[in-house]
Amino acid sequence: MYCNRLIRSWPAVLAYATLAATVTAAPATAAAPPAASGTAHEGNNADLDAQLEAARKKLEQAANEVARLSAQLSTATLDQLMPLFGPPRAVIGVELDPAGTGAGARVREVSPGGPAAEAGIVPGDVIVAINGTAVTGADPTRQVVTLMRDVKPDTHVSVRVLRDGKPREYVITARPGPTLFAATDDLPDIFYGALPKVRGAFMLHGPLTDMELVTLTPRLGSYFGSDKGVLVVRAPADGALKLEDGDVILAIDGRQPSSGSHATRILGSYQPGEKLTLRILRQHKTLEIEATLPEGARPAHRELHEDGSAAERRAPPARTVIFGSGAA
Amino acid sequence: MYPDLDPHPPHARLLRELPDEAAQPYGFAEFERRSRERARAARRTMPAGASFAVVIAAGVLALALRFAAPAPQGPARPVGVEAARPAGLGAGEAGTAAGTEVMEQWLATLPREPAVVRVGTRAAVTGLEDRIAQVDDLLSVARVEQARPARLAALQQERTRLVGTLLQVRYAETLVDESR
Repeated sequence: MYCNRLIRSWPAVLAYATLAATVTAAPATAAAPPAASGTAHEGNNADLDAQLEAARKKLEQAANEVARLSAQLSTATLDQLMPLFGPPRAVIGVELDPAGTGAGARVREVSPGGPAAEAGIVPGDVIVAINGTAVTGADPTRQVVTLMRDVKPDTHVSVRVLRDGKPREYVITARPGPTLFAATDDLPDIFYGALPKVRGAFMLHGPLTDMELVTLTPRLGSYFGSDKGVLVVRAPADGALKLEDGDVILAIDGRQPSSGSHATRILGSYQPGEKLTLRILRQHKTLEIEATLPEGARPAHRELHEDGSAAERRAPPARTVIFGSGAA
Repeated sequence: MYPDLDPHPPHARLLRELPDEAAQPYGFAEFERRSRERARAARRTMPAGASFAVVIAAGVLALALRFAAPAPQGPARPVGVEAARPAGLGAGEAGTAAGTEVMEQWLATLPREPAVVRVGTRAAVTGLEDRIAQVDDLLSVARVEQARPARLAALQQERTRLVGTLLQVRYAETLVDESR
């Protein structure tokens, strides 16, 4: 039913069409699904399961590739424009109307999936105070922008808004702006020497890619003996992070993941090779694990031969990649 | 335990007593005849309708010219479009913003995260979300600093593209999650 709802809406169709086109060109590190055969039609569920899993993997790989390439494209623009508007700073994920309203700064857009959206801010809200400081002066939008310069990443920002004339209070956790610089394999190494390694990219192609997490609900948590944390449904490949299926991650270097997404953000804030301490619950016992972030596997690129056949080859060593993002 | 199975219930008898269908559905020949009649009727009324439309159009044009006389030169823009455009948005930006609005509405219907989070795809999603948040922040600053329209347009286009990508990745993520 849910899929039906997806397919009825045109953005979903558009997304599907684009992804379907990408899937065909996606790096197929997973085993290619076998051609439909008589045995499959005769009810060989194991074969069908394997094909479905392979298709899922290809879809996910294509999605990751689309995201990676899109972020690389945006980096060029952002690299160019960011210095004009000051250094990266903590963001809450709203776009403000420059005109203001007299009563405060009007929110024109809320970034999908951003901190403000998660807190409950909606377009049309009028921000009247940030961390207790009123922004109802002559230029409220500028006031908000100025106040946000003092906000540190990962800190709570208290925001008071007017919605339909009624005041509401929200607490937003500011996120650091993503680190810039994209992998560009065409440029000689000399251009990359001074650039910092960018965090998070190893999540897209490394051993952590297939790790599966579930946010603990109170009922699920009672089974495992914890009301907080994230359940590891499928541990990372190759024993990375020393996690096992059924572990509950309680903290990553002291930071408590509130959801699977949050855990992903926290892990993405590290660099490959960095050490971290995981506090986990394993078979009702709390353990501290010292682990090292695995190096990410480099994306495979499809090389087309003149006869039309395709072969996989490893991409050249990635120098700097995208998706640097601090933990929320 | 079971209801009585009356071989001749009252409603069955009533149905049997109904008269036969008065008229059979008409066939293709009758359909053609009716179509020809409709076409003839349309041709007869068209001149009057067309004349009426021309008069209305001329009247609207005259009124428009009358009230638009002091306006600056350039193509006339529908009033509705102008009114709907948020303050501070250029024409191109307004179009781009309208494009993302539909995508964002669809994104808003999705759960915050799938029941089972696959770290690789989620990292792609969170990376894009963070990037969009940064672009939104830059847009706010750029507008406050009265940046050049070309820069604003570049940022707006970047936002649109990133939202489109987020839509695609989230669609894939949802599809995979739903197929489990």
